[in-house]
Amino acid sequence: MLEHFQQAFADLIASPELVIRVRDNPEIIRANYEVSDVEFHRLISIVNHPGMECNCMLYRANRLVPIAMNLPKLCQALGDDLNSLLSDYWSEFKRTDVHFLLESDRFLQFVFDKLERGSRVRERVGDVLEQEAAALRARIANSYSTENVKERQPTEDHEERRNFGTDKSPLRRGKFT
Amino acid sequence: MDTRSNGQPVVGLLYNPAVPYIIDQVGDLVQYIEVIPDRFWYDFGTDAQHGRFHWVHDAVDTLRRCAGGRVIAGHGIGLSLPSAMPLDAELLDQVAAIAEDIGFSWYSEHMSMFLTPHSSIPNAQAGLGLPVVYDMDTFEILRAKIRQLKDALGCPLLMENGSIFTPIPYVEMTEPEFFNRLYDELDCGMLLDLHNLYVSWRNGAASPEDYLEELNPDAVLEIHMAGGDELAGFYTDSHSRLTPPDVWTWAREYVPRFTRLKAITFEFHESYFSRLGVEGIAGELERLHDLAASCSTVKSEVYA
Repeated sequence: MLEHFQQAFADLIASPELVIRVRDNPEIIRANYEVSDVEFHRLISIVNHPGMECNCMLYRANRLVPIAMNLPKLCQALGDDLNSLLSDYWSEFKRTDVHFLLESDRFLQFVFDKLERGSRVRERVGDVLEQEAAALRARIANSYSTENVKERQPTEDHEERRNFGTDKSPLRRGKFT
Repeated sequence: MDTRSNGQPVVGLLYNPAVPYIIDQVGDLVQYIEVIPDRFWYDFGTDAQHGRFHWVHDAVDTLRRCAGGRVIAGHGIGLSLPSAMPLDAELLDQVAAIAEDIGFSWYSEHMSMFLTPHSSIPNAQAGLGLPVVYDMDTFEILRAKIRQLKDALGCPLLMENGSIFTPIPYVEMTEPEFFNRLYDELDCGMLLDLHNLYVSWRNGAASPEDYLEELNPDAVLEIHMAGGDELAGFYTDSHSRLTPPDVWTWAREYVPRFTRLKAITFEFHESYFSRLGVEGIAGELERLHDLAASCSTVKSEVYA
């Protein structure tokens, strides 16, 4: 079924390790997803396509953007440990929070939890983690302070734009500055 | 300058935080702004305690200032129409609210999958939306959602072709056939991203010329132009450069055939603004105006 096909596709681009396993053993797909024969063959073709490497790279690059933007010093301090931490984090949280500050805060909490459990990166990132956590949470609080939607009266200009390209009154001459 | 009187499409930019500055410098070249609604609020999620959406009103006010006297359209990234799951009705309400507030002339979404029930495909920088299966199952999903969107927004709807790194085989329709059918049966126009065609071609897809020949030219209502980057042997839609020469060649040959074309848009990401510069973007806009001038054969009934 299409829902399972789409989920399998999304799971594959999120996990180069799963791609490699499915290339070796395609039946992993049937064991984990309810897909038709044609959907199965589509997925196997996709998994073995050279472009799958690019899908996986872009997935990781795009998921890294909010974290690199909002926690640059932490990323730098984590050094070689960043890659494996991100893989673990993305494996546990498959959906990016579209609020980039919250996504970054969730990763911070993930790193905090790792430290609680005695991760060896504690000494290198401790101070940086505290500093960036404080700054990030201030920004999150600020984003809460924005207002909810308010109703506004449409303006004449607004009405003209809405009618652009329809059989209603067209934009006037000279409106495009 | 009234582009409507001579039947030419308007020329403009995908809105980002650098665009107000560009408008201050070379506003005469920007007739049209395409707006990603999701950039004007924070979405705290469906279980947020203090309301899910918090709007950034300073940003909306700046947009409103830039919008004055220009054509504005919405360009969505969050609804993921081809996904086999219900529409996010709360998000749609917000899109409808900003469409009403700003006044969208039309609204476009991507023919790509960004959401599944258990995961999401982030689209922060270089575009990554998963390709969709071109069959009747997908068509029926879109039929229902396009109706919902049209009802909610009250304006025409377009769908945009994505850049594809892994084509889906064994499908019932080619991509142009699918877009033609959307237009014929659902009155849903196409936002033709010529750079996305280039990206797919650079990564092994079939000839863009064959694609463009198969497309119903009447379906194309907006064009996207952009430039990208190499990444580990692949070419991506990173919106980081000016439009490459091959894309210009296709644009000059095919765009004049799109007789219902309403807008030509240059997309760049704000993180590359310092690389492109105002002069670079102004030069691209001037070339787009020349391209628009080649589209003087618009059928009179379109804008009647």
